[in-house]
Amino acid sequence: MRSSLKFPFKCSLLLGAGLCLAVTAAVAQARTVATAHGEIDIDGRPERVVTLYEGALDAALVAGVTPLGAVATRGGKGVAAYLQSQAGDVAIVGTARETNIEAVAALGPDLILAAPSLSDEQYQLLSRLAPTIVPADTGFRPDAWKEQARLYARALDREAPVSAAIEAVEQRADALAEQQPAGETTATLARWMPHGPMIMSTRLFSTGLLAASGYAVRDGGAVREGRPHSDPLSLENLARIDSDRLFLATLNDDGDKALAAARRSPAFERLQVVDDGHVVAVDGQLWTSASGPLAAQRVLDDIEQALAQ
Amino acid sequence: MTERTAAGRVALPRLMLMLLAVLGLVMLTSLLFGAGSVGPEAAWRVLAGGGSGDERFTVLSLRLPRALVGLAVGAALGIAGGLIQAAARNPLAEPGLLGVSAGSALAVAVALVLGASAATLRVSVAQLGALVGCLLVLAAARLNGAGSDPVRLVLAGAVLSGLLGALTSLLLLADQRSADEIRFWIVGSLAGRRLQELKAILPSLAVAGVLVMLIARPLAAMALGERIATGLGHHPGLIRLLTVLAVALLVGAATAVAGPIAFIGLVVPFAARALAGPDVRRTLWLALPLGPILTVGADILSRLLIAPSEMPLGVITALIGAPVLIAVVRAHRLPAV
Amino acid sequence: MTCSADRDGVPAPAGFRRLGGVVCGREYSLLIDRRAALANLLLLAAVLLVAVLALSLCSITLSPRQALAGLFGTGEAIHVFVVQELRLVRLMAGLATGAAFSLAGCLMQTVARNRLATPGIIGIDNGATAFAVASVVGLGVGLAPPPMALAGAATATVVTFALACDVGTRGYRFIVAGIGVGAVFGALTQLLMMRVAIDVANAAYPWTVGSLNARNSEALRWLLIGLLPGFAVALRLARALTILRFSDAIARGLGYRASACRHAALALSVTLTALAVAVAGPVGLVALIGPEMARRLSSPRGVPLTAAMLAGALLMTLADLVGRLLLAPIEVPVGIVTAIVGAPLLLWMLLRPEARLT
Repeated sequence: MRSSLKFPFKCSLLLGAGLCLAVTAAVAQARTVATAHGEIDIDGRPERVVTLYEGALDAALVAGVTPLGAVATRGGKGVAAYLQSQAGDVAIVGTARETNIEAVAALGPDLILAAPSLSDEQYQLLSRLAPTIVPADTGFRPDAWKEQARLYARALDREAPVSAAIEAVEQRADALAEQQPAGETTATLARWMPHGPMIMSTRLFSTGLLAASGYAVRDGGAVREGRPHSDPLSLENLARIDSDRLFLATLNDDGDKALAAARRSPAFERLQVVDDGHVVAVDGQLWTSASGPLAAQRVLDDIEQALAQ
Repeated sequence: MTERTAAGRVALPRLMLMLLAVLGLVMLTSLLFGAGSVGPEAAWRVLAGGGSGDERFTVLSLRLPRALVGLAVGAALGIAGGLIQAAARNPLAEPGLLGVSAGSALAVAVALVLGASAATLRVSVAQLGALVGCLLVLAAARLNGAGSDPVRLVLAGAVLSGLLGALTSLLLLADQRSADEIRFWIVGSLAGRRLQELKAILPSLAVAGVLVMLIARPLAAMALGERIATGLGHHPGLIRLLTVLAVALLVGAATAVAGPIAFIGLVVPFAARALAGPDVRRTLWLALPLGPILTVGADILSRLLIAPSEMPLGVITALIGAPVLIAVVRAHRLPAV
Repeated sequence: MTCSADRDGVPAPAGFRRLGGVVCGREYSLLIDRRAALANLLLLAAVLLVAVLALSLCSITLSPRQALAGLFGTGEAIHVFVVQELRLVRLMAGLATGAAFSLAGCLMQTVARNRLATPGIIGIDNGATAFAVASVVGLGVGLAPPPMALAGAATATVVTFALACDVGTRGYRFIVAGIGVGAVFGALTQLLMMRVAIDVANAAYPWTVGSLNARNSEALRWLLIGLLPGFAVALRLARALTILRFSDAIARGLGYRASACRHAALALSVTLTALAVAVAGPVGLVALIGPEMARRLSSPRGVPLTAAMLAGALLMTLADLVGRLLLAPIEVPVGIVTAIVGAPLLLWMLLRPEARLT
């Protein structure tokens, strides 16, 4: 069953690989990729790729592959706004909540890039369509995105551009860090909710970039181990988000609206950081749910702008 | 039963005084304790006129408005519960259980999806939703003759709430921006409420208050039976309509400020009847201090249980209210309203 | 086995057909209610039609012939995969959960003598949902959501009946106890949902509305194991239940043990609901609408258990099919579709002047 299913795909794969060989003389190597579900052997250069995770879409685009299918971003009907121009008219195969496996099957992929949180059941089905790359779930670590991007790149057989992109991000963050005394300027990332703000963990993708850019990122001691953010804080404890710089986000991309909502709260107005005018409204989608080299550059754009203020 | 009723009649003013004293204590406690670092002594200094700027802000600008909003919401829900129980002649009737709050919540969800942001909620939207929910469930009860059977009305209400809840879920699916807001809004809470929001609902609370004064006596007469009420010169149809209107105004206003808070409208009349007997006029008077005592008391708990964050008020009232509901139904004879 | 209008000169009652025959040397005869049989056949045909459609339609459109070829493993590899691995499991889940919900609803409605009394209304769905969500957000005792849903349904049931035991299952006051228990579980679910991270809330979301996309094959196996004997028991109870609809005294007079029957039916009802919720989440409306549809189609003489099962299976598969096609490729969870379809119907049931709630 397994081999009979894959046979046509393998044919096209070989054909595609053959063409590549003829044109670029690049040799697609058989390689082993270590995933959460064990080591997977992939040979040939995948061309028909489906990404089921925003970070994977980001990495694939950096690698120079435009996926056939991707999942809609959280809270949207298409891919994330910052990827829209590069991703083109990629087919949507579900939401972050639920993947439509049948829509994936209809695309006839030769490689599937999925999120660390992919369920076992879904993996069993998807892996019968094509090799499915699931990064090991390592919890919240600021640098997890780099390992994930490299893993996806290896599976795509396009490691060089992704490595270069990650290095570019690191260099840019270092350059930003040189513009300020290291570790002396404090920063907090918070999402403004109707019940009060949530402080984001210091171990996330975006807070990791803040730290790499020379900020001392704080969470006010409110974020428990292994959680991406705190419970909504009581307004009485709002002082915990006070920092030299406050990056304020909501789920939707209009961070300015979040700022307007926050400003109506007298407790918010009393914060030192508000008084100093050091509140930076940011796209919550980008800052709290994206990951990958392209997203990193966009986050660094925001950080650079904040520095210039 | 009759003895207690007689005792209640004599003791009503004294009871009211006692309850008002308890309410005063609860309000004071609500100013003294919070999820933040301002402790009772510091808060006491503020009340005595001293305290640092931060302490004054926490007590006077965060805790005081919140306690006042709790006062209004509790009184509104308590009286609404008393009214709806009298109109339905059913000790299990409760705005939350009957789908009135769910109607209000759905209306607000629709408004959010259509673009209103949570902070600028229109009170009237919530009241309209409450009115529709109220009319639907009472119509269902009357048409099906369920008014005579307490359990059936509650059953119809539960179905209606479930239905309205499912429609709210649908909106959650359609619009994730709202989903994020509604996820928090569907659990009632007093956190971060300000005096402006209280001001927005005061007019409708005043109108409802006048309505309640007008209908309290006829409602008491209707408890004796519609014929007797008619004989005494009241119009049962009109009274019922005015009652529904008052309930919708009260529940809609409370829901617009605090989100759906269940079981206050059940527990308060239950306690009031236990204290002062079944006369609806006394129930309504006692609901005035009892509702705020329960609401503000639950709000204090909500701040202390998981500090530095807060537990939603709606969860605490459900935990307090559900056992009361079961106690009411376990009583061998359902008490007459 | 022969069909005859009468046997030994005794005609079948009006509206019935007598099936008689000799099996293993013993003579058997069976009265078949014509209208009920017709209704069941009609529903069965509809279920089969929808089943074929469900196997054929979605992101990849197959002709019915391709779908059937895929089903038997003779078609193209991709078709076989899509039909056997994706659609067939989902179809089975839809049929089984629909049948279980609806049968459970029919049983409880009959016992409570109230058409609004279903397991979902008395808090069993809420209990299952609260436990399943707790598992998704990582508060479970290491159990996957389906077994947690089972545990939650069992807990809600035990608490409800423990609280209501001395008021008895008559007078359906246990329903109010159930509503109270359900409210507590509902509040706990909301508390969990509001405290977790949004990604986790997204993962838990199907458990709060009901979806067939997240179905678990282990849970489905348990449901199928429970459904078949459950149906047999229900059929055995059917006759007693028919008589219980009228009064306990009549039932006793006819030699039925009223309270034993009632307890058996309730136990069966909550078990089936628990098993179904573990597969699909809380799709409680099927338990209200399925039996209602069955009663409309079937004869008023008996409790239409078979028809209710078929109607439930039909509703669930149809709703799932609609949900898959409506906003394709994004799926609308089946619980939402049944809510939209069920809402007007329920309002009509609530508001119809001539409605007899009993």
